Amino acid sequence: MSEVGTKKSGGLSRRDFLKLMGAAGTGLAFAPFVPFGNFMPNPNQASLEKVPVILPDGTHANMNTYPINHSEVITYPSTGDPALDAEAFRKWQFIRLPEEFGGANKDLNAIRAYSMICLHLWCLWKYWPDDGRKRGECPCHGSMYSPTTGTAFAGPASVQAAPSNTLPRLDFEIDSDGFVFILPPKFDVNQNGVIGYGRFA
Amino acid sequence: MAVSLDRRTGVVALLYWIWDGIDRTIFAGIKFSFPARFVSPFGFLGMLTFIVFIILGVSGALLMFYYQPILDRAWDSVQFINDDVPFGFHIRNIHYHGSNAMVLLAILHMYYQFFSGRYKIRNEILWMTGVILGVVTILEAFTGYDVIFSERAELAISIAASLTTSIPVVGPTIRDAALGSGFSDFVLRFYAQHVFLLPIVMIGLMAVHFPRFLVFDVPMVMAISGAILITGGVFPIDMGFKFEPTVPPGVTVPEWYLTGIYAFMRTQYDKFVTGLLWPLIFIASFVLIPFIDRYKKFSWRERPIVTAFGITSLAQIMVTTYWGFYISPDVSIPLVERLVIDPIFFYSTMILMVPLGFGFTYMMIKLANEAERKSKLAKSNGPQKVATINLSEKWINWLLIALLAFQVFLNIAAYNASLTGMKNISLFFIGVILLVFAAFFHVYRYAMSQQKNAPPPPPALVPDEIPKLVESDVPKPSELDVPKPSELDKDVSGEKSEPKELSDIPTPKVQADVKVDANNNTNLGSEDLKKP
Repeated sequence: MSEVGTKKSGGLSRRDFLKLMGAAGTGLAFAPFVPFGNFMPNPNQASLEKVPVILPDGTHANMNTYPINHSEVITYPSTGDPALDAEAFRKWQFIRLPEEFGGANKDLNAIRAYSMICLHLWCLWKYWPDDGRKRGECPCHGSMYSPTTGTAFAGPASVQAAPSNTLPRLDFEIDSDGFVFILPPKFDVNQNGVIGYGRFA
Repeated sequence: MAVSLDRRTGVVALLYWIWDGIDRTIFAGIKFSFPARFVSPFGFLGMLTFIVFIILGVSGALLMFYYQPILDRAWDSVQFINDDVPFGFHIRNIHYHGSNAMVLLAILHMYYQFFSGRYKIRNEILWMTGVILGVVTILEAFTGYDVIFSERAELAISIAASLTTSIPVVGPTIRDAALGSGFSDFVLRFYAQHVFLLPIVMIGLMAVHFPRFLVFDVPMVMAISGAILITGGVFPIDMGFKFEPTVPPGVTVPEWYLTGIYAFMRTQYDKFVTGLLWPLIFIASFVLIPFIDRYKKFSWRERPIVTAFGITSLAQIMVTTYWGFYISPDVSIPLVERLVIDPIFFYSTMILMVPLGFGFTYMMIKLANEAERKSKLAKSNGPQKVATINLSEKWINWLLIALLAFQVFLNIAAYNASLTGMKNISLFFIGVILLVFAAFFHVYRYAMSQQKNAPPPPPALVPDEIPKLVESDVPKPSELDVPKPSELDKDVSGEKSEPKELSDIPTPKVQADVKVDANNNTNLGSEDLKKP
C-alpha cells in the first residue's frame, strides 16, 4: 500500500505522513508529563546549597577554635523539621584529623565529613579520638574506617566490593576568618557518594 | 420464616434472580467446578494461592486501621496491634503466616505446573504472567515485613536500597524515585507499595493469569486456612526489636524466601551481580522455558532435560535457602568470617548441583518407568482391588453430629483461651475448627454423593426382563416411575392397578441393574478416566 504511494510521490505517501503526524502529536501531547516524574524523588533531600557548618551547640564551626583530633555530629541538609533532621541519613561525622595526619593545619586538608551510616548494615558509626584508635568504628559489627580517606579497613564493610567500602563525604570551603562552609554535594558514587551505599575512592 | 428450596418464592427467588443475572457478568466466562469428591490439591494450587491472597487482603485492610507508617511510630503501632488491640494478635498472625503460605503455595503451584508441562498448548501467556506474578508476590511479602521497622526490617531495607542503587546507570535515580532518600521516606513508600501499588499490579496480572476453568474445593480451602491459623498458634510471630541506629542489632537473616539471594550476597562479590543479576537470570530462564522446551510430550518422564533443569533449580533453591540461614554458631571466630561465605566453595557447590540434579532426574525416570512396567504386569494378572471406606447412612449421621459437637467445644475453648490471654492457643483452636469444618464438609459431600448413588425407588415394573430395557441406552425417568400397560401385561398377568405391592419384584442391588455406567453416571470425576 505504502509502496504504491512512494512510487507515485517519490517520497513519503500521504497516508504515512499523516501517521507520522499522528505519532508526533501523541508524543507532544504527553511530553509535558515527563517532568512530572520529578514528583517521585523527595525534594527535601534534593535542594542543596552552600551552608555553614553548624555544630550541635549551635555555633558556626571555625578552624581557629575547633579542637584537633575531635569530631562532632552535624546535620546536612538541615530542613528545620526536627523529626526529619533526627534521621540517620542526614547525620555526618565532622572530624578534625589528629596532628600526625595534618590536623594542625588550618586548611581543607585538616577536616573531613563522612556520612555516619555504616556501609555494612546502616548502623551509626562514630570517630574515636583515643590513642591507638583514631578511627571510625561501627558498634554493630565492628567495621572500622580510616579518618583520612573514609575507606573501611577492617570488619564487614571492608570486604564489600567498591564502592560499598568507602563512606560518602562532604566538601568544604574555609573563608578568611576560618569559618567552615559545606559546598553543595553531588550524591553520586563518582562524586560525593551515595549515602548508605558508598563512593569510589 | 419457612423457606423451601424446592419452590422459587421469596428469598429463594431473589437468590435465583441474582444467580441468573451473573450470566451477564465476566464470571460467566469462568467455569467454576465444585468437586463432589476428594481431588488432589496439586491441580488447584493456584486457586488456593488466590484464596490466601484474599485472606491477606482482608486481614491487611484490618491492620491498616491501626498501623502508622511513620519512622518512629511504625514499630510501636505494630506492638499496639499485637498486644493491646482485641484480636489484633490473631489478625497480625493470620496476615504474617498467610504471606508465608501464599509464597509457598505459589512456588509449589509453579513447580507442579512446570513438571507436568502445563505451560505448553498455548498456555505460554498464563505461564509467563504466572512467573512474574510469583516475583511480585515475593516483593509484596518483602515490603510487608519491612514496614514493621524492626531491626530485621531495617537490615532488609538497607539491602533493598543498596541493591537498587547498585543497578548500573539508572540505579540511584530509581532508588530516589521509588524508595526515597531517608528512613522516613522508606517506611512511608514501602507502605504505599505494600498496600496499594503491588497488590494492584498483582490483581492486574491475575486478570491475565486466571484460566477459564477453576476448581473451588471447599474442604481444601478450609484446610489451608486452618493450617495457616495453626501455624500462627504454634509459631506466633514475634515483634523483633525496635530499630535504633546506635544499638548493635542481633545477627538476623531475611525471611525464608529471600535467604537464597542473601546467601549469594554473603559471598561479598559485587552487589548488582550477586543480588540482582543472578536472580534475574534465574527468573528469566523460568519465564522463557515454554520456548526452550521443545518436547512434544507433557509428562515429566518424557521430558528428561527439562525435568532435570527443574530438579537442579529446586536443589539450588533449597541449598542456597539453607545456606543463607546458616551462620556458624561459634562466636569465637570473628563475625566477618561467620557472615562471609567463601565464593569459591559456594559457586563450586552450585555447579556441582547440575550433574547431581541431572543424575537424580535420570534415576527417578528409570525408577518410575520400572514401577509402571511392574504395575502393568501386576494388572494383567488380575483386577486390582482399591481400598475404599464405605460408611452407612447411620454412621455418617453420627460422624456429622460428633464433628459438630467438637466444633462447638472448640469454639468455646477458643473464645475462652482468647479471654484468658492465651492468644496463640486461641488461634490454634480456631485453626483446628477450620480443619474440623473441612472434615465436616467432606463427610457431608460424601453423604450427598452416596445419596445420589443410592438406587432409585423400587422401579416396580422394571423387572427381571433386562433385555427389554437394553433397547434404549439410558433409561428414561418415565420408564422407571410410571408403569406402562404393555409391560404390566407382560409381567403381571391381569393385574394393572397395584403393581407396587408386588413383593417378588427384585429391587436393583447394584448400579448395573439400573443401567448406570460410566457413560451416564453423574457422579464420576475426571480422575476416574483411565490413565494413559
